[in-house]
Amino acid sequence: MMFLAQLQGELRKLFSRPRTYIGYVAFLAMEILILVVYKLDRTQAYTRTQLQNNGLDFDIYYSSLSITFTIMLLSMFVLGSVFFALVAGDIVAKENEDGNLRLIFARPISRLRLLVVKYASVCIYTVSFVFFVGISGYLMAVAAVGWEGGLFVMEPKMKVFAAYSEWSDGAGRLALSALGIGFSMITISSIAFMFSCFKMKPAAATIITLSILFVDMIVQNFPFFKPYEEWFVTWRMSAWVFLMEPHLPWAKVLESFAFLGGLNATVFVLGWLAFQSRDFKT
Amino acid sequence: MLVIDNLWKNFNGVPALQGVSFAVEKGQIYGLLGHNGAGKSTTLGIILGMVAAQSGDVSIDGISITQDRSRALSKVGAIFEAPSFYDYLSGWQNLKILMSYSGPFDEKLAREVVERVDLTKRIDSKVRTYSHGMRQRLALAQALLPEPEILLLDEPTDGLDPEGIKWFRDFILGLRAERGMTVLFNSHLLGEVEQMCDRIAILQGGKRVFEGPIKGLVEEQQGYEISAELNSDLTKIVDQVLASVGGNWDGASRIFMPHDVDPATILRSLVQAGVPLRSFARKDRSLEDLYMEIKQQHTTIPRSA
Repeated sequence: MMFLAQLQGELRKLFSRPRTYIGYVAFLAMEILILVVYKLDRTQAYTRTQLQNNGLDFDIYYSSLSITFTIMLLSMFVLGSVFFALVAGDIVAKENEDGNLRLIFARPISRLRLLVVKYASVCIYTVSFVFFVGISGYLMAVAAVGWEGGLFVMEPKMKVFAAYSEWSDGAGRLALSALGIGFSMITISSIAFMFSCFKMKPAAATIITLSILFVDMIVQNFPFFKPYEEWFVTWRMSAWVFLMEPHLPWAKVLESFAFLGGLNATVFVLGWLAFQSRDFKT
Repeated sequence: MLVIDNLWKNFNGVPALQGVSFAVEKGQIYGLLGHNGAGKSTTLGIILGMVAAQSGDVSIDGISITQDRSRALSKVGAIFEAPSFYDYLSGWQNLKILMSYSGPFDEKLAREVVERVDLTKRIDSKVRTYSHGMRQRLALAQALLPEPEILLLDEPTDGLDPEGIKWFRDFILGLRAERGMTVLFNSHLLGEVEQMCDRIAILQGGKRVFEGPIKGLVEEQQGYEISAELNSDLTKIVDQVLASVGGNWDGASRIFMPHDVDPATILRSLVQAGVPLRSFARKDRSLEDLYMEIKQQHTTIPRSA
């Protein structure tokens, strides 16, 4: 019960801060932009050609579900990572910078428990944000092209191709993939959270996290590293897209999620060790 | 109630505390004095577990802060200079959040405390709209939830207007009178410390250079203020006259002598020795006098109780 009350307080803090909503507003703007592009004649013609080349019916697969998938695929890593790193990078470092931690440390709560509460709130924020993007993107797509239709998935990098003609099948896979994206994005939040526990400014925690991820993503694409791509964090974070395959490759998915889970646990422990050993002068 | 036992702490090789010890009894208001960087805040940080001591320990009601911090702090409330709240939340929401780190939220108790610190009308307003005085009262409210036995006050009256300082002083004294609250008071305002505290410790350069009760201290000698133009010869004469009766002075205008010495004798001796006195008036020793004396003596401990 105490944990829940503390978590509730942490979430209240998180969701009462105006900057938490910058990401929401940015994503809504991006969704509108993607929808506008989707409605252009040239885009529709391109999509029609793509679908027909794959033997698929434009009227079925030019749909709200396909658009939602595109929104999540295009926006989540590039734009989402910025906001996850921003919020998670702030959560400890900003409270230290502002002096809020002093009042908390005057309370009989252990540093580990405080971090667990904060980490849980960051994870909730991350997953809820992914679902927000998915649901808002879908609702906007419904407003633009109607709710009916199937789901067309093409992700060349991870070599995933799938088509679900039934709305219910497509919607189910999209919901499952949102869970997968949520789990993958927790890794960004975890890395930023770790840096937030170190003795550094909140902005530094955010920038270092983003730098690591972008370097990882760039280096991964060098031909030399191609055989080792599965050791890159961002490749593992893209494994959610396997959840779209018609025959779910659970082994591949779970392997990547175990990799990410292990990484998340490791960076949490590193953050905790750094936080635990720090002096917080009044 | 609160025992600080031989604390040592370095920051990047620079000593911040060097074997600091003192004890605060139940119901006592204890003042911790010292210049900036003397080690007051470090001491407070170690008491709250924010700073780890190199050696030594703090125990609260017999519970070691290093061994069982959570249980030890369950009886402690603290206020800091310029307390930082979540400005975008209301005072009430701040209290709920901070109290959740200590235990279940007791709404009835919280309402009572809010009323007591005179914040009832504004408790649902955002903290960003609060004045400095209101923030300090909110800080006091959070420190009193849930019902601590020890209050740690770190420069609590800094930045308050005289009315606010008096309100704060009366409030703390009231808490002690009603509940027997134990208070550790860290302040630069010597007048406040003198009015509130039973006992003090003075830190200088990380060392405890004085520890003892205020009452006996300021009253142990009678004090006078003299006004005269003094050259080095006359200064020596004043030294000799005062030394002959077991008195001392600050080298400028304040002189102190034991109570059994008749001031008329001193006055006569000074005049007969040729000291051109313009005035000679009673002015008892204050905490500020003591503090300045100790600062001048550096590491000399004039009295230990």
